[in-house]
Amino acid sequence: MAGSALRRLMAEYKQLTLNPPEGIIAGPINEENFFEWEALITGPEGTCFEGGIFPAKLVFPPDYPLSPPKMQFICEMFHPNIYADGRVCISILHAPGDDPMGYESSAERWSPVQSVEKILLSVVSMLAEPNDESGANVDAAKMWREDRDQFNKIAERLVRKTLGLPPP
Amino acid sequence: MPVTLVDRLPLPNLKVYTAGSVSLLSIAIYYALSATSDPNWRVNVTQGRQEGMAEPGDLEAQLVMTSPPVVAGNGTRNISDQFVDVMTFMMQEPLCVWTLINLAYCSLAVFGFGVQRLVFGQLRVAEAQRVKDKFWNYVFYKFIFVFGVINVQYMDEVLLWCSWFTLVGFLHLLGQLCKDRYEYLSSSPNTEGWVHVRLACLLGGILTAATALLGAAAAWGLPAGRDTFAFMAAECILVLVAVLHVVARYVLQLYECDVAGPVAYYTHLVFDSVSLVVELIHVLHMVVYSNMLVSMASLVLLMQLRHLLHELQARVRRHRLYTSLATHMSRNYPMASKEEVDKNQDNCAICWEPMKEARKLPCSHLFHNSCLCQWVQQDASCPTCRRGLAGAAPARPAPHAAPLPNHLFHFDGSRYVSWLPSFSVEVTRVRGELAPGPALDNTAQQLQHMFPQYSIATLTADLSRTASADLTLDNILEGRLVAAEPIPEPEPLPVQQQPTLLDVATSTIEPWTPPSSAYLLPTTSTAGTDTIERSNRGTGHSTVAPENLVEDDVSLGGFAPSAASRAAALARRKERLVAGARLRYLRRLPRAP
Repeated sequence: MAGSALRRLMAEYKQLTLNPPEGIIAGPINEENFFEWEALITGPEGTCFEGGIFPAKLVFPPDYPLSPPKMQFICEMFHPNIYADGRVCISILHAPGDDPMGYESSAERWSPVQSVEKILLSVVSMLAEPNDESGANVDAAKMWREDRDQFNKIAERLVRKTLGLPPP
Repeated sequence: MPVTLVDRLPLPNLKVYTAGSVSLLSIAIYYALSATSDPNWRVNVTQGRQEGMAEPGDLEAQLVMTSPPVVAGNGTRNISDQFVDVMTFMMQEPLCVWTLINLAYCSLAVFGFGVQRLVFGQLRVAEAQRVKDKFWNYVFYKFIFVFGVINVQYMDEVLLWCSWFTLVGFLHLLGQLCKDRYEYLSSSPNTEGWVHVRLACLLGGILTAATALLGAAAAWGLPAGRDTFAFMAAECILVLVAVLHVVARYVLQLYECDVAGPVAYYTHLVFDSVSLVVELIHVLHMVVYSNMLVSMASLVLLMQLRHLLHELQARVRRHRLYTSLATHMSRNYPMASKEEVDKNQDNCAICWEPMKEARKLPCSHLFHNSCLCQWVQQDASCPTCRRGLAGAAPARPAPHAAPLPNHLFHFDGSRYVSWLPSFSVEVTRVRGELAPGPALDNTAQQLQHMFPQYSIATLTADLSRTASADLTLDNILEGRLVAAEPIPEPEPLPVQQQPTLLDVATSTIEPWTPPSSAYLLPTTSTAGTDTIERSNRGTGHSTVAPENLVEDDVSLGGFAPSAASRAAALARRKERLVAGARLRYLRRLPRAP
């Protein structure tokens, strides 16, 4: 089981190294264990997260790609679809069987043709356009709807933090 | 469970324990030496014994009594005699016997530690935890066995069982470690061969030892009764099966057997079921043997029995699912013909590996048989287009098996031109049409993502005209949609710059500023674009020492063959991404007053 998962992860790593999508870098934290990756995601342009480099950890199950990996930001995040501990809540990361929110159609969920690259691109678009129906972080969802200026300020602080710059 | 409690016990570490055991042993030897220095020690000891124990049944003591006391001169006793004397004395003296037993355990622990260091090196946290859990579980169940099932009465019987279980448990733990380590090793692509060789040697050693124990069980257990033999043999067989399973996985891997193919599947099935059945019979035997239905021991045993039955049931259920799926797939989804496989040049979308033979779904997507089989066990749909496979996965009827018609637009680019991507677009239809609004914008963005040569405005305009993603896509593909204005090339990022020799030369000649000052100094507010470009370049190369330049090229354009250089390249790319982003961020800032 682990053998085919390993080969596939290797292929994905190679692809992501040779043709990286703009602003995205991903690879194993330590090649001793190919099932834990770190990804860097650039905040999409024209959004409040613009310019930030957000690190996240991806943990792959032994039966990858049959089951989706788990993704968790390892920097401070404030976003309607990201839990306070950094776990990301998007439909592409949910296995077809489980539906925690009960609103996703199976078409949006995990399938083995998805890949790390597609996950990361989805996360980028999630950063750009939060889905305030799935409230992983209710405070953030509320602020996103009602007090966008405050939200943008927090995002700005986070962006600076990820770049190692002092807060404004 | 006992595990949590035991964790808090202040157990000494191995060094302290070994030192303690050795000093205990030396004290015991000294005591034995001083006791046996008197040539008539046998008489003294047996007299003391007889005074101590009123029972006259002690055969050995009588024997010693009848033997003539040694009255030879002091000087004539040579070393071997003295050694024999000391040993006999120690075997008779209870305190010394306990010391010896302790020493045996200590040397076993040291041996186990040595094996662990030699074969496994530092244990990973998960492995250590697993071994610990298994150890205390084992101790718990064997305690129940010795005092609840066999119900031993005599100390020497307890000792015999203890030493037996010590040996078997030792092999159990080593086997568990091998299994964990094997699984870990197979999750890492670059392991040196000798790690595997050492593991294989250990596996061989465990196999031999377990077989020897089985022989010992036959030699000593059989005379003691069939039940005893069955108990002893069951333990050995369990160890053997577990270790053989790891060996079999090794062999399967060596022959690059298809992980989901029938050979691998049935190998696992056989090993799993043999080990479950043997354990089940073992526990059942214990329950019958102990013959007491109302006691703590039988309660524990029945719990274990229930757990085992559950597992067996789950295994059988999984097997049924597997066989029914296999027949379902072979009946409904034929293997693709040779031409079809040849024509389809894509790899299997599940494992990303080339296909020599493939199974074809009704939606004409091809996958490896084993990949598809594994996926269908989870979800009854085509992985690529998500079309429901009616009737598949009988165990879990999927409510979403039949998607609504027109809910999903699927574009299989490879059908038109081999390099075109395959993708699915979910079209949120409002009364069958794309009304202007977020849905349309969304679709436009998705389309723009796939065809970056068209601007979002063009796509939006066409979408609002056609009100259908399909039609717009047709327009794009058939060239009816003109890319109105070419999108300005995105400014090349410093991270993606391919360093040419000239660049390298200029950047090394240039007295570049250290990276920290490059983005902390407000050069950006005063300098023109040219200087920014230069300082970009400076930061870009600042992390690379000149002698690494060859490797650096690899990091930017290739995929290094060795793990270390890959990791280094990855780290460099990350650094550059952050540095570049920082620079751009500072450039974007409103100019300082």
